[in-house]
Order: sequence, then structure tokens, then C-alpha cells
Amino acid sequence: MEVFFTQLTNGLAVGGIYALIALGYTMVYGVLKLINFAHGDLFTIGAYLGLSLLTSLALTDHVGAAAGIVILAVMVMGLVGVIGILLDRAAYKPLRTSPRLSAVVSALGASIVFSNTVMLVYGPNPKVYPQGILPTTVFHVFGLPVPIMRFVILGASVILMIGLYVFIQRTKIGTAIRAAAIDQDAARLMGINVDRVIMLVFFIGPALGGAAGVMVGLYYGQIKFTMGWIYGLKAFTAAILGGIGNIPGAMVGGLLLGVIESLGAAYISMAWKDAIAFFVLILILIVRPTGLLGERVAEKV
Amino acid sequence: MKKLLLLIVAAGFIAAGPPAAAQDTIKIGLMCPLTGSWAAEGQDMKQIVQLLAGQVNDRGGLLGKNVDVVIGDDGADPRTAALAAQRLATRDVSAVIGTYGSSVTEASQNIYASAGIIQIANGSTAVRLTEKDLPYFFRTCPRDDEQARVAVKTLMENNYEQIAILHDNTTYAKGLADETKKLLDDKNAEVVFFNALTPGEQDYTTILTKLKSDNPDVVFFTGYYPEAAMLLRQKRDMGWDVPFIGGDANNNPDLVKIAGKEAAAGFRFLSPPVPQDLPSAQARDFLSSYKGKYGSAPGSIWAVLAGDAFRVIVKAIEETGSTDTDKLADYLHNDLEAFPGLTGPIAFNEKGDRVGDVYRVYKVNAEGNFVLQE
Repeated sequence: MEVFFTQLTNGLAVGGIYALIALGYTMVYGVLKLINFAHGDLFTIGAYLGLSLLTSLALTDHVGAAAGIVILAVMVMGLVGVIGILLDRAAYKPLRTSPRLSAVVSALGASIVFSNTVMLVYGPNPKVYPQGILPTTVFHVFGLPVPIMRFVILGASVILMIGLYVFIQRTKIGTAIRAAAIDQDAARLMGINVDRVIMLVFFIGPALGGAAGVMVGLYYGQIKFTMGWIYGLKAFTAAILGGIGNIPGAMVGGLLLGVIESLGAAYISMAWKDAIAFFVLILILIVRPTGLLGERVAEKV
Repeated sequence: MKKLLLLIVAAGFIAAGPPAAAQDTIKIGLMCPLTGSWAAEGQDMKQIVQLLAGQVNDRGGLLGKNVDVVIGDDGADPRTAALAAQRLATRDVSAVIGTYGSSVTEASQNIYASAGIIQIANGSTAVRLTEKDLPYFFRTCPRDDEQARVAVKTLMENNYEQIAILHDNTTYAKGLADETKKLLDDKNAEVVFFNALTPGEQDYTTILTKLKSDNPDVVFFTGYYPEAAMLLRQKRDMGWDVPFIGGDANNNPDLVKIAGKEAAAGFRFLSPPVPQDLPSAQARDFLSSYKGKYGSAPGSIWAVLAGDAFRVIVKAIEETGSTDTDKLADYLHNDLEAFPGLTGPIAFNEKGDRVGDVYRVYKVNAEGNFVLQE
């Protein structure tokens, strides 16, 4: 039983990161009906920018570990957000009126450009975050040892998710985003600057991906220029699982995917871990084609 | 038109000169990757063989003749290697050294075999290369199944009773894991865990938790260093202190950088010795003259094995007093015993595989350095 709960916490930790990346997919999809396949690579860029800033500014030496990491995360979110806006301008905006498939191809192209740029700038070997910044305290929850960072990662994901949800549901700008998501032309007639809304979406989504990148770098220590692909694929799956376009759905989907993977690997077969996760995805989509919390039927991409 | 052709042919003969002033040198071919993804290895191979050939010539040459090294670039690519092999085969070489990659060597094997030229590979460890009954093919590097044998020996010597084997489903790692498990089963050792992780991921705590619940005395990981480093790091975070042993794909200093010194300390892995740890007096002499000429030590053991291939050929030509392929091959197969190579004693079995232990056990110490275990 102890093993079961340990595996559960393992799954929740991984799932928290999937959820955070899935938020970015879901936001962009919600407004533009576009799967931003470059999102995984924005996550990678976040991890690498975080490493550069961390080593060059030595923030944690000046203001302490906790404050330093928060400042670092905010800086990376800002930078990756700006890259997201540039991505939209360069790769998606010219195709706004084209068939949707063109934008998907453009997204795949952007993904290749990003990952190769990272490889050329930082080199093909894995990079390592400096160690000893994070506390290594281990909590005991009902007798189970759980490293404190697991709570921090899950907590940060939940806080960002709730913040985003409140922002979308309760603020005027959030209302504008929701309006643009439902019908861009009608929103424009109501006086909403839809281009501005899209720009904002392409700032927030990648910024969340960048934050996830910094978290992965800090927690796992090793970053690779190819890691955006695996994480991107898993987060995309999580977004579909929870119902793409739906913010709480991304959170639920991410955590669920992490737990399914972990328990599947532990109790069914380790080598079939990914196959099990995708099998569950197929089952859920057969029963609920819109995903767990999705309202709209996902249109074909 | 005919006249023109004749003229061209005649001009060709004149340009080619008199048919090679009849063998005043002994030519030895070297096929190595001077370009492509393993160019660093190829450059080392070239420098080492040229250094050794220079030493032989300074001593008065071989059978009274100078040794001439003829170099062909295989580009770390099987197709380029086939062309390089055809070119070398027409250059009247007595033997060919090389090359590094198994698939590259494989593309050249039949070309040398049908030309009747001895080939001694230096870095090609794939088992099948010497399972083809090629009478003129040898290699100075160990085979992949040799590593499994050394792994089992190490596991047995340490009296581990419950052994976990973890691989990553790549051809190399799975092959090593399968072979190790087979040998362990033959010895009735208990393999409590045999499974694969997915390479390229960040979080291996699920696998580690599963491993821990099977309660092994030791974990043998046959994959590559990035995953090994993450396993070590997360194992330490879990507070689990089972010993880990890795295969030769872990011989990379980045392992310690990724895992951190504390997590990496105590990790052992199998590997041919790094050049600095080579055991013999010949090796020390060789390393100091290499450093004297090129400024630094050779990067890897595989290039030094090309030097051993050269020394073995020189020895065979000296002993048989001939450059006849059959005589040389017969000498190498049957008469060469415990030749003092740079990488330890060398002898070949009837398949052309090197006999004797090449693999050593390394351990990461508290400072994060790789220390050779005796």
C-alpha cells in the first residue's frame, strides 16, 4: 500500500508539470482553434533562458533562494511570452485567414526552428542547472517521504491555474478573451480589439510554458534541447484528455495523465507506460469525445 | 577518333609512370573517420598510427624497408567506407587497420576479404562482425558480449544475490541486458527485476519506486549516461542507497555534472581503460611520446586500439619475414601469444576476436573523478 501511495505522488508530480504546459495549449486552442505545436519548444526555451539568467545574474545569491527563483520565473515568463508574440506574428498571423491545416504545418515548422536554434546556441549536449539552490527537505505525509519540491511544483501549478481561471472568468480582459473564443467577428462588432486579444493569448500561453521549463530545470537539473517534444506531446494529450479549450480540464487532464502513467508503469508494465496512457486516452475519447470537462466538440485539425 | 583514344591511353600510361618501383616500402592501410560525426576519433587514430610508423622507420624500418601508412577516410559512413576500401585495396597494402563504427566496418569487410587483405578493426564491437567466417578479419577491441561476461563476473565477485537489470530498449543496451541475464540465469543467480525505461525523460521516480519494492542488492543499468545520471540523482532524493553498476556507455564526465557529486559517488561502471590508466610500460612510453608530439593525450581508448592493430601487424610481418596474407593471418590466429599491447596482452582466437580481459571496473569517487578499480 505504501508503494501505491508513493507511486501516486510520483504521478502527481509529473502530472503537475504536464498540466502547466497543457494550459498553454488549451488557451491558444480555445481562442484560435489552433494546436500550437511549437509550445513544447517554448517550454524548452524557458528552461534554457532560466539557466542563462540563473548563472549570469546569480540572483539567488543576492536576494535569497525563494525570492530569487520567483524573480527568475517572472523574468523567464516575460521573455518567453514575448517570444510567443513574435511567433504569432511571424508564423500564425499571416495565415489567419488560410485553411487551418496551413497554420498547423507552420506550427510544426516553428517547432523545428526553435529546437534547432536552441541546439545551435547551447550545443547538443545536455545542460545542467546549478545544484544546491532548492531546499531538499523531505516531508512525511502519513509516513510517506515526499520531497518538499513536489509540493512546491504542484502548488505553483495550481496557483497559476487558479490565477488564470480567475483572470479569464472575472476580469474585463478575460471576458474579451472568452468573447473572442466564441466568435471573433461578433467580438469585433462589440468593439473588442481581437488582434490585441490574440496577442495577449500568445503572451500568456507561452509564458506558462516558460514557467514550466524553469521548474523542470530547477527540479530535475538536466535539460536537453529535445525535451520539448516529449513534454509537448504529453501535455497535448493531457489537454485533449481534460477537454481542449477548457482551463480546469487541462489541469485535471495533466494530473490524471501523470497518475495513469505512473500506476500503469508500476502495476501493468513499465515498458508499456506510454501505450497504457494513450490507451486510456482513446477509451475516454470513445466515451466522451469532448474530453472529461470539454463542452465543445473538438473540431478536426 | 581511334587515334585520339590511343593518345589518351598512352598519355595515361606516361602519367602513371613506370609500374611502381617494385616494393621498396611496406604499405599499411588505415581506414578511419577523418570527417563526419566521429572525426575526433579518426584524427586520433591517424596521429597514433603515424607516430608508431615513424618510430618503426626510425628503428630502421621493417624487413629493411620503410613503412608507409596509406590513409583512407571512411567519413563514419558505410557508403563512403566502401569507396575508401576499394581505393585502399588497389593501393597494394599488406594490411588495413580500421575502423571505428561497426556498421562502417561491416560495409568494408567483404571488399578487403575478396581482395585478400588483412583487416584489423579497432572500435567495432558488434558481435556479428566476427561470426562471418572471414579468414583475414581481426579486431583489437572486445565484443559486446564480452562486456556482459565481465558484468556478470563483477556481480558475482561482489556476492550480490538479488540482481536487478534495467535497460532502455535501444539495440545496444537491450542486447547487453539480454546477454547479461542469460549468463546470470546459467549461473542460477536470481534476477529479481528485468525491465526498460524510456530514454529522454526527466522523471524516473516511478521506475525507482518499483525497483525498490523488488528489493535488489544491486542494479545493473545498461543504458546511456544521461539516464544513469537522472536515476542516481533521484535515487538519492528518495533516500535509497542501493549500489548501481553501469555499462560502458556511462564513461562520460557529464554523468557527474548531471547527477551531482554526492549522488554519483560510489557509482561503478564497466569500460575499457581510459588512455591515462593503461597498464603497461609500453603504454606509458607511448603516451609520453604521443604527448610530446601532439601536446595532449589521445581522447579515447578506441584510437589507442588502432595503435595496437598497427603494432600487431608489424610484429606479424617481422616474425614471418613476409607480407603474404595467408602467412600473416596464420601467424595472428595461431602463433601470436600474449603480445604486450598498449592496452594489455593481445592474442586472437580462431574467429579473429581478441582474447583476454579488456574491460575494467571504474568507480566514481567523492570528488566526482573516475577511478580505476583493481
